[in-house]
Amino acid sequence: MAILTEDDLYRTSTQYRLWSFTRESLSSLRCTTNESAADGVRAALYGQKATEQSSKQDSNVSPTPEVDYLSVDEEQKLVGYYCIQTMKFADFCDFPTNVKATAVQYLKRFYLSNSPMTYHPKEMMPSALFLATKTENHYTSLESFVSMLPKATAEDVVAPEFLLTQGLRFTFDVRHPHRGLEGGFMDLLALATGKGQSNPKTGASPAQLQQHMIDLEPVTDRGKKMSRSAEEVVRRIQNAHSKAKELLKTSALLTDAYFLYTPSQIWLSSLFFADEPLARFYIDSKFPTQSPLKSTLLTALQTCATLLRSSASADPEDSEVKELKRIDKKLYKCRNPEKIDLVGINKAQKREGHEDGLDEKVIKKRKMEREKLEKEAEDIFGPALGVKDGK
Amino acid sequence: MAVSPVVTHEATSNVKVTAAKAKSLAVRTNSFPHKTEAPPEKKQGGQELAERLNHETKEKYVKDKKLGEGTYAIVYLGHLKADPLSKVAIKKIKVNTEYRDGLSMDAIREVKYLQELSHPNIIALHAVFSSKNQNLNLVLEFLPLGDLEMLIKDSEGIRYGTAEVKAWMGMLGRAVWFCHENFVLHRDIKPNNLFIAADGEVKLADFGLARSFSDPYRPMTYQVITRWYRPPELLYGARFYSGAVDVWSMGTVFAELILRVPFLAGNTDIHQLELICQAVGTPTEEIWPGVSKLEGYVGYEKASIVPVRGKDFYLARFGTAGPVGVDLLMSMLALDPRKRSTARQMLEHRWWTSDPRPTAKVDLPRKGGGLEKMGDDLKRRGGEVEDGRGNKVARKLNFGATK
Repeated sequence: MAILTEDDLYRTSTQYRLWSFTRESLSSLRCTTNESAADGVRAALYGQKATEQSSKQDSNVSPTPEVDYLSVDEEQKLVGYYCIQTMKFADFCDFPTNVKATAVQYLKRFYLSNSPMTYHPKEMMPSALFLATKTENHYTSLESFVSMLPKATAEDVVAPEFLLTQGLRFTFDVRHPHRGLEGGFMDLLALATGKGQSNPKTGASPAQLQQHMIDLEPVTDRGKKMSRSAEEVVRRIQNAHSKAKELLKTSALLTDAYFLYTPSQIWLSSLFFADEPLARFYIDSKFPTQSPLKSTLLTALQTCATLLRSSASADPEDSEVKELKRIDKKLYKCRNPEKIDLVGINKAQKREGHEDGLDEKVIKKRKMEREKLEKEAEDIFGPALGVKDGK
Repeated sequence: MAVSPVVTHEATSNVKVTAAKAKSLAVRTNSFPHKTEAPPEKKQGGQELAERLNHETKEKYVKDKKLGEGTYAIVYLGHLKADPLSKVAIKKIKVNTEYRDGLSMDAIREVKYLQELSHPNIIALHAVFSSKNQNLNLVLEFLPLGDLEMLIKDSEGIRYGTAEVKAWMGMLGRAVWFCHENFVLHRDIKPNNLFIAADGEVKLADFGLARSFSDPYRPMTYQVITRWYRPPELLYGARFYSGAVDVWSMGTVFAELILRVPFLAGNTDIHQLELICQAVGTPTEEIWPGVSKLEGYVGYEKASIVPVRGKDFYLARFGTAGPVGVDLLMSMLALDPRKRSTARQMLEHRWWTSDPRPTAKVDLPRKGGGLEKMGDDLKRRGGEVEDGRGNKVARKLNFGATK
């Protein structure tokens, strides 16, 4: 009998196979993307200059001026800002957490292999959110989605979708830490009320574990009194839970946590951040006293908790806004001119597609067939009896 | 920790990989290539990384002949450019023609779940790429021997017994168990979504209606699963349900394999419920606490209530499966979804270890003409049936309610 662990299953996920990195591989990928985007802009600008030159031959055009490109750091700040905007807009639309969280990860994943110099995050944002409503089973018709957007049209939302899915390498599943936290929360509550499972390794009984929790040192102010009763422990768990939950909704999404850690590491880190003694107790309750795996895990959780702490706040301060404005202004000058009109590019590609072996007649015939079928389907009693294939 | 009751194909030795080691593996396996194999500069200039990767994937495959075409997709036979003897099926989804809201839900669901699920009894998705016209191409495992429906229907040409049924059901059960273990509901299990590979292996396909388990208190649509295979809770309009819906479908497939005709072939949803009452029993509060609270539940007159069928009743109809097999079938067709066996319980049933042993894959009966059948099956949209007048209407409703 083969044992298939949760780790084995996670290793088959696309999140692990395609979207997990070390810090080094992540930053080197971003550098590569930044450089090749700058190359692209340079080539496009040079191309433009060349045509201008040939059209007005006598004019004395200077060689291509040196352009000041965005740095990786500036790209990151800009993408980060639009991730926050995405979250705000998702809240405005009253979309559930998983839609919001997935949309943000789509943007972050997309900008690993694409640069804001090529595609502006402002234009990708609605598309990422709309795609997330579809992949997270919260389908909202395009029409009603667009009606919630202040300026964009239906085409603005759909046109970048193809680019987005390509950038996502046609993987749509994002594994979030939220559900894991809920499970851990329930588990902790059970332990606090003496209904937990005894530790198979150390043999601690549920009652011992419960007492252990009551004796835990408090979160802050070491001098303060300890929690004296089970009720107080429950309150403590609830506090830690809401703090951790908040963290998973904000900085876990905005930092590189998803690229660097597994969902379970992320939620455990959020607990670590919210109430370290409680998190340590929880991990101890699952491991034998001494285990190399435990120390590895604790190190990972500590670095992840530090990362979560580092996140930019959801409400940028004045100085940050100023910096963002500067970057956006800079971007205005180094955007790839060939990639600005996404709606136009999308249309052109579709047009090209129709030459792909389909002549007008066939298209028209299919359209008529389809319309007939649709008409029949609208009849509440369905198509006539014995009618097959619309004949 | 999930203990698989099955012999799996991989991932056994490296169970104790630590987090740190997992990370180092990640570096090795994550496959954003650096600019090493730089293709000709001129053509690639201005092409982003993602575009280049897509192009490389596309270039790996060659489309050969067309196997089938529907309004939703065209299916081709294809092969790897590097290996002319290899075979794949390429399903080209027509993204632009039909649906104005961008990529359709069916396409998204199919790609999303097949990308994640790799198991010997689930159709393998080798790659996805887009062609110039933004159509999505799914490179799927080539399954030339048709589907289970073909074998069931050909009662003249194909003979099989309990040992074969056990082999097929075992493969189906493992596929569904794996989906549920990954928190995925298939929601369209039926014989013509069960393809047969060249070596006789059964492969679950068509994830166009699949979805992840819902979060608690988040409703789902009940307009899923082809009617004949749809469980009573969905017919009563349940919006909160579990993997039990797929288990019911497997139960009806099990029955169909034995009977060689669809077990409960209702013409309408009402008729479907009538058939269930007759064949399995009438759902009442006594045997299924809470059923009367479901939106679509209809009360039954005392006189018309059919008591839940007992073992003798099943033995009379499904005797060839033997008393142990009948016991398994009954557990899969429990009316109350909470009492129905789970995919895992199903696999742990003693039927699998009692005689006769399941037939070896290579000895399973097979039938020609599967190539066209694969083309036909794949070109369909999830949940779509070619004949049957009611289905198109159901599909239409389903679209609005899809959440």
